[in-house]
Amino acid sequence: MAVKEVLIYPDSRLKEICAPITSFDETAEQLLQDLVDTMVDAGHSVGIAAPQLGDLRRAAVVDVSKSKPGKKQENHGLLQMVNPEIIEREGSQVVREGCMSVPDYTGNVTRSESIVVQFLDQNQQLQVIHAEGFEAIAIQHELDHLDGFLFLDRVSSLKTDLYRRKQR
Amino acid sequence: MQHFALTIIGRDRPGIVSQVTEILYQGGFNIADSSCSILGGQFSMILIISNPEISSKEEFSETFNPLEEKNLSVYIRTLKPGGEIRSNLEGELCMISVYGADKPGIVYQVAKELGDRSINITDLNTKLVGDKQNPVYVMMLEAMLPENTEIEEVESWMKELKQKLQVDISVRSLIAMEL
Repeated sequence: MAVKEVLIYPDSRLKEICAPITSFDETAEQLLQDLVDTMVDAGHSVGIAAPQLGDLRRAAVVDVSKSKPGKKQENHGLLQMVNPEIIEREGSQVVREGCMSVPDYTGNVTRSESIVVQFLDQNQQLQVIHAEGFEAIAIQHELDHLDGFLFLDRVSSLKTDLYRRKQR
Repeated sequence: MQHFALTIIGRDRPGIVSQVTEILYQGGFNIADSSCSILGGQFSMILIISNPEISSKEEFSETFNPLEEKNLSVYIRTLKPGGEIRSNLEGELCMISVYGADKPGIVYQVAKELGDRSINITDLNTKLVGDKQNPVYVMMLEAMLPENTEIEEVESWMKELKQKLQVDISVRSLIAMEL
């Protein structure tokens, strides 16, 4: 059990592109455990990515099953992902996101409605899963961290003014 | 530190933001929060500003004279201590969309339902769309529901209004996903 400190922007490590995990050694197992412990400790969080703990390797965990919006939808429970990659995307949805690394700010972000993601799980097994709704949003948000993207890079509208696009 | 609310409004044209912020920058002001948008043909700016060297508006109000000369109206409000800090609103954010044929009282009647129950409106946008023959009113409202208030309850209040005003209203939860 190791709850780590979550880095806060402008820590530059949050803007780095993370490196693939080539050898699944003890340190990689420890990283996954730290991610899970920190996510659980953070209470409201439904996911966290390695760079948020200052570890620049491609790993992230997601669990929407404990969150209010996630509970209502089908989900995979706790996902521990090493070298995850989104291999298919479909549709789009707008959701208001916040991030533990960018406190006190939320923004409307457009994400794919459903995704197929491939990763190595904690047992080094290759998994290919189909995720939708909130789970898909959470995975996309966490995987963005691995490429140095914050949700601030994806905000698609200021507050509610979606309907302003068409000007008279 | 003394904070001020600065409101600037005038006919929209390119360059307003840069002229305003140049004056603020030259005067050593910080912009804490701000919201600026086009309303009708007007560009409106609302900013919370402060400058460690300045404690009363008389000390800097004249620096905005060049804006007045360019047909922008400038208003400065001196905030009371702590007035720059957003109070911590607890609860669940919800979004209410109201739209329909334009008629008097749409905003008031919806707002009254919320205000009478001490529900805080955190954001509100309205716009008149459609054409002259068929004006359509669109209102988007965000409100913070206190812990004991469920979305379904808000929906039930709005259902009655929907009949009364003959407009469409939808209510949905706006949970920000904390990731």
